[in-house]
Amino acid sequence: MIYEIGSIGNIGVKTLLIAPYLGSVLAYILGKAKRELAFWVAEIVGALLFLASIYLFISFEKPIDITLNWINYGDIHLPFRIYIDHLSIVMLLIATGLGFADIHFAHDYMGDDPDQPRYYAKVLFFIGGMILLVITKDLIGAFIGWEFMGLASYALISFWYYKHSAASAGMQAFLYTRLGDIFILAAIALLYFYAGTIDLIKLNEMANSGELNKTLALVTALFIFMGAIGKSGQFPLYPWLMNAMEGPTTVSALIHGATMVNSGIYIVARLFDFYHYTDALFIVANVAALSAFIGSTSALVQKEIKKILAYSTMSHLSIAFVGLGVGSLAAGMLHLVNHAIFKALLFLSAGAVIYLAHHVKDAWKLGGLWKTAPFVAIFMAMGSLSLAGVPPFSGFFSKEMVVASAWEWGNGFTAIFVTIAALLSIAYITRLWVLIFLGEPRHESEHDHAIHGASTFWMRLPLGILAFVTLAISLFQSDIVHYIVGKEVEEPHVAWLTAFMLSGMAILFAIVVWLYVKKLDLLQKIASHQFMKTIHNILFNGYYMEAMITWISKNIIVNSIARGFRWFDTFVIDWLVNATVPMTRAFYRFFKKGHSGEIGGYIGQMVIGIAIIVIAILTIVKGL
Amino acid sequence: MELLVIFGPIFFSFFVYFIFRNSPETTKYVALGWFVVLFFLSLNWYHQLPPEGYMVLGKYLSVPQFGFELTIKMDALSVAMLILTSALLVLVVLTSWEEKEQHIYMSLLIMFSGPIFGVFMTTNILWFFIFWELTLVPMLFLVGYWGAEERIYAAIKFFLYTHVFAMFMFVAFFMIFRQTGVWDFSDLAGKENLFKTPFLIWWLMFLGFAAKLPVFPFHTWLPDAHVQAPSSISVLLAGVLLKMGAYGLIRFTVELMPETTKHFAMVMLIIGIITTLFAGFLAIYERHIKKMVAYSSISHMGMVVVAISTVTYDGLSASLYEMIGHALVISPLFLIAGWLHHKTHTWYMDEMGGIMKKAPFVSAIFILAGMAALGLPGTMGFIGELTITISAVKAYGWWVAIVAVAGLISAGYIIWAVRRAIHGPMSPLVERTTFTMSFPEKLALAIYAILIVYFGVNPQPIFNLANQAFAFLGGN
Repeated sequence: MIYEIGSIGNIGVKTLLIAPYLGSVLAYILGKAKRELAFWVAEIVGALLFLASIYLFISFEKPIDITLNWINYGDIHLPFRIYIDHLSIVMLLIATGLGFADIHFAHDYMGDDPDQPRYYAKVLFFIGGMILLVITKDLIGAFIGWEFMGLASYALISFWYYKHSAASAGMQAFLYTRLGDIFILAAIALLYFYAGTIDLIKLNEMANSGELNKTLALVTALFIFMGAIGKSGQFPLYPWLMNAMEGPTTVSALIHGATMVNSGIYIVARLFDFYHYTDALFIVANVAALSAFIGSTSALVQKEIKKILAYSTMSHLSIAFVGLGVGSLAAGMLHLVNHAIFKALLFLSAGAVIYLAHHVKDAWKLGGLWKTAPFVAIFMAMGSLSLAGVPPFSGFFSKEMVVASAWEWGNGFTAIFVTIAALLSIAYITRLWVLIFLGEPRHESEHDHAIHGASTFWMRLPLGILAFVTLAISLFQSDIVHYIVGKEVEEPHVAWLTAFMLSGMAILFAIVVWLYVKKLDLLQKIASHQFMKTIHNILFNGYYMEAMITWISKNIIVNSIARGFRWFDTFVIDWLVNATVPMTRAFYRFFKKGHSGEIGGYIGQMVIGIAIIVIAILTIVKGL
Repeated sequence: MELLVIFGPIFFSFFVYFIFRNSPETTKYVALGWFVVLFFLSLNWYHQLPPEGYMVLGKYLSVPQFGFELTIKMDALSVAMLILTSALLVLVVLTSWEEKEQHIYMSLLIMFSGPIFGVFMTTNILWFFIFWELTLVPMLFLVGYWGAEERIYAAIKFFLYTHVFAMFMFVAFFMIFRQTGVWDFSDLAGKENLFKTPFLIWWLMFLGFAAKLPVFPFHTWLPDAHVQAPSSISVLLAGVLLKMGAYGLIRFTVELMPETTKHFAMVMLIIGIITTLFAGFLAIYERHIKKMVAYSSISHMGMVVVAISTVTYDGLSASLYEMIGHALVISPLFLIAGWLHHKTHTWYMDEMGGIMKKAPFVSAIFILAGMAALGLPGTMGFIGELTITISAVKAYGWWVAIVAVAGLISAGYIIWAVRRAIHGPMSPLVERTTFTMSFPEKLALAIYAILIVYFGVNPQPIFNLANQAFAFLGGN
């Protein structure tokens, strides 16, 4: 394959394929020589990647389809195929554009860190993984990009590896996503043999023409969805997403906005016809609706800024999944696009806040930042409004579309849960914003933002652009849908929904502002009630899912199965092996007695010996 | 030339010892030079290979009365093994750069290179057996003298275990000669009907190779031997000696008796899967870093057995790839595990911690090799796991997709090991240790890392060899 990369004619594709990895190595090596160079390499490569994506967007005529020879063994041929259509280009623009903004933002955020070369090398590798995922045509190629992101997220989450919590969070992220990934590996093998192809486009075509075996399609679709559950943080594999907040905030922005968590939705969207062919979408919709509910309720009570945003990511990804699950590719993908932009904006603003507040992450310890950081406050407010789904911000349109599709689809469980999740988002994001920016600074001693002063230009620029985009993009919602889906999409129409949603949001908004600005003492009174405490604990710990999975892996896998195997290995197998030594010795001792020197003993032994021989001969000859 | 390659080292290693015993430092250059020569010689043989089948290099020491001779014949599989062996030997010299009593150590290594080349070069079953047994002799001393605390127990267990099981093989070889009158196994390929008791012969041979591989339940010698052996010798044990088992399995079961093998394929498959999963779980439970790596090694060899059991063109190609991948991936893990023990004087991962801060280069290589061991794309481990899974599903049906679970189990032990030993806050023990590594060792680790990534991205060179070796099985 690597010999043939040169034969790719399209300069944009070549850049996207090579530049991230080359840049990654270069950023590390040059950064080791001079620390600032790492940033500049990353900045240039990030810009290049974004330009390449724009180039592909502009020069697009028909889908790019390139086949490279990769592995040929026996009668199995696994080529490396590249396929770029509208869906890929949208994902590319998100990944590289937001990635570029993220790199730019990191100039100041990571400015003091001595490990910058490592940071930028990993970030470029991460973006490279996402690019690889969205431009490949085969499930194997997609899996490679998929796993690259797993590795990069592991490396970035445990970037401060010397911290206990960061190292554990990295391990958790890798193992949780890996659990999903092995299902994809199994799906590759199954599809390769039973469907005869692992070509994502061809699988869709086969599903459309009804050639595929339904059982196979259902099983493999669910296997691939297991991978998506791991990567996109759905029920039950979501706890890693929250603990991933141990990494630098820029990394969170990258994971939650630009790259990793979108990959699960992308793969389902890419295989949409394949999913549509079976009942898999029903399961997708219901798992996602449950996750949306879990995410949005847990986000209500979190203390850390980043954890609130993480749970909101989980909830919003689930909303996008519900969009796909209820059969509306347009709604799901639109929400993915909008979410990626406003979530990157929110995380970067949160990064700016944390930077200004000297790494205080607890929202309850902040407050009153409005005066010192008005720019950040405005940008974050715009992101929040978009996330909450307030018109005319982009979040409103896509969320409305998903919820309406869900009601049209007719499954009560899905529709109700996703509506609750969509409504609650205004509550937790308002709570977050109010806690950070309004009121008086709490715990004065712990954050003294006089030192860093205001946010720097390096930070404001990407924030401002993203804030602008999240507003401007709402003008182009139907164009985006049209671009991705390729045909006119009928808007789902549920008469009462818009009015209901808007009034619900207004009420929730009023309640939250009233409680958190005016009536903090009332809030504390409510919270101190025993029943509320229980509810609070359940929500705060994410429905104890992490505790459950940890318990299973610790007590069942490690301490029961693995330990049992170890016992069997040591005390049965190896015991038998070592037992050959005393057995040999006992054998020797027993027969040593025969050498007594007494003639009677020898005669007796001879008689027994002859008898055995005679019996043996008779047995063989006569068949006695 | 061929005779020199095989018998030269056996005799000249004594001269090396006597000549250089007063300047032990020189011996490593002699060994390095000899192994580099072997490496290029193997590459040369690779270029001379015919597109299919065997290349006859010569017949020596013939005893016409018995039709017995030292037949030196090679095909792509042998050459692949020779290239792997010589490359590993070169790297082993680099990583034993600071071993004590080098004149003896290097002499033994040189002595080892003779019979191991013989094993892969000859097609005469008796000579094959002789070389097979001769490789044990230098290994016994290398483990027993340069090893860790319990080296004597480990060396004797290793020697007796493999020797006893080799006896089964010997009986089988003798029966082959009695029943067919042919010493050269390459002449017997496809003439399975000549065997009068094929099942018995198959099982005896399988036992011999299974203990060498090793597979469940004959694996308990391996953790002991690998842990007690010096790291470079662990590399040889894992990279070359285990490969002898897999090589024998391919040569004598698949090539010699394909029908019987297909008859027992299911047994092999089950044994392979059990080995993979069982050893994987043992590795998860292990606190001892080198034992963890040793169990990981067993687990990967289980995958090789799964691939061999398919008895198809593509399955065997995948097995050859995994064999080479396993050698290159597990070696740096063993080296680093041994090096960490050498520096910190502890085997236990929970007593380490935070090593990344003090030894970033070694930690990075450990993580890279670990990622390869758990099958991350871009490394050799992934291609091995992927191709084996595809071939196994193709041969047996959907339920074999369960071997994919190996990818999760290996992720469990590798990532947990990284979490405990490499990441995390620095433990007091690591705090007071100074981590230094000589340049040749670093060079060797870097070469391993480059090879793992190179063949992971561009696996076709190895599959070309495999296609040449297994084309006779034909596509289906």
